[in-house]
Amino acid sequence: MIDAACKTPLTDAQLLEYWLDGVAADAEDVLEEHVFACDRCARRLEEIVGLADAVRQIVRSGGTVAVLTRAFVERLRQDGVRVREYRVEPGEGVNCTITPEDDLVVSRLRAPLEGVARLDVVVHDPGERGPVRLQDVPFDPGAAEIFVAPLAASLRRLGTVVQRMELIAVDDSRERQLGVYTFNHTPYAR
Amino acid sequence: MACEGSVTSAAVVTLPGKRGISYAPEVASPSPQLAALGSLDDAVLVRRIIAAAPAVDGQAEAELCRRFGPRVRLYGLKHLRDPAAAADLVQDVLMLTLQRLRAGRVREPERIVSFMLGTCRQMVIDLRRGQNRRQRLLETFAGDVPISEFAPAPPLDAERLRPCLERLTERERTVVLMSFYDGRSAAEVARELQLSTANVRVIRHRSLRRLRGCLDGGDSTEDSS
Repeated sequence: MIDAACKTPLTDAQLLEYWLDGVAADAEDVLEEHVFACDRCARRLEEIVGLADAVRQIVRSGGTVAVLTRAFVERLRQDGVRVREYRVEPGEGVNCTITPEDDLVVSRLRAPLEGVARLDVVVHDPGERGPVRLQDVPFDPGAAEIFVAPLAASLRRLGTVVQRMELIAVDDSRERQLGVYTFNHTPYAR
Repeated sequence: MACEGSVTSAAVVTLPGKRGISYAPEVASPSPQLAALGSLDDAVLVRRIIAAAPAVDGQAEAELCRRFGPRVRLYGLKHLRDPAAAADLVQDVLMLTLQRLRAGRVREPERIVSFMLGTCRQMVIDLRRGQNRRQRLLETFAGDVPISEFAPAPPLDAERLRPCLERLTERERTVVLMSFYDGRSAAEVARELQLSTANVRVIRHRSLRRLRGCLDGGDSTEDSS
């Protein structure tokens, strides 16, 4: 009866560190021995592994709105994910679509991000909901751009519409617009 | 090799052929006999298998496989990062363990966990050295152990997870995606997002709690860290 042996179950933090972080060899041995002897912790680790599988599936199909990094988008491409990318400068627009072959569409929004403490993205989507504000998105200030991946399924449902995204820097409760980006979307016609 | 007592009607791996290893990651409704076996201490279970030799205690062997199969698989996924290789490892480790038990070559049944973990480690080392231990095993027991078709544990439904991901904050969602998509460490994610490693660990941990809460039908917005 293995579960009874689990008097000190591993924490989620320990399981995550074991699975993702590559802990030191000694620590890894200890964690591994515990997981191997403990049904309860092994099941919790299995949940984490299952979560990772589902996340991969969602990412690869553009199944969630997300703010990503350039390196991550490159890894997706290397994994065979078909990424359509639109690079837009502040104040500019681009004609865009999503084809049946695309897994993911990424809007690459250029902006001066040096010194920005907090960054929000406002998506003005006349087709569906009203403006949606993505608050406090992660970004690399030195990168001068962020990558926004909209929900692929929503893009596929769109007709001919003009969408806008807005980058807003929030500093000490003051807001400063960094750029507006226009996406002239048309449905894909073969 | 007969670790073939089916303990559930679903998610059972049964090796094709006259003999094989069955492994059920999730036990839906075990028979009363297997439920009783499930309550046995590891060492008691192992002694039953040893005592039965040269006959085969199929139910005890099935319970051993059910109990340790998922853990061997986790070990394989962690160190080989390949589901197919992990599935092969499960079969090889279970096969070798049962072979040793039946031959009376496991002298300390109470140390079965160490024995099996050590076997996992050695087999993974062999794989990394390019030594095909699997091939040697299959040659040794040719005809006795067919190649396994391995069914992983029932997956988490991505459609169930999706709304839960959407309820995370942007920062949490990005960290979750970047961490789990291809197994990035907190340090790697931190470097890409220009955050501290400690901060990524906190976000990752909090996100996991919130996702669990949401998947369990609770309030995903609760911060239970």
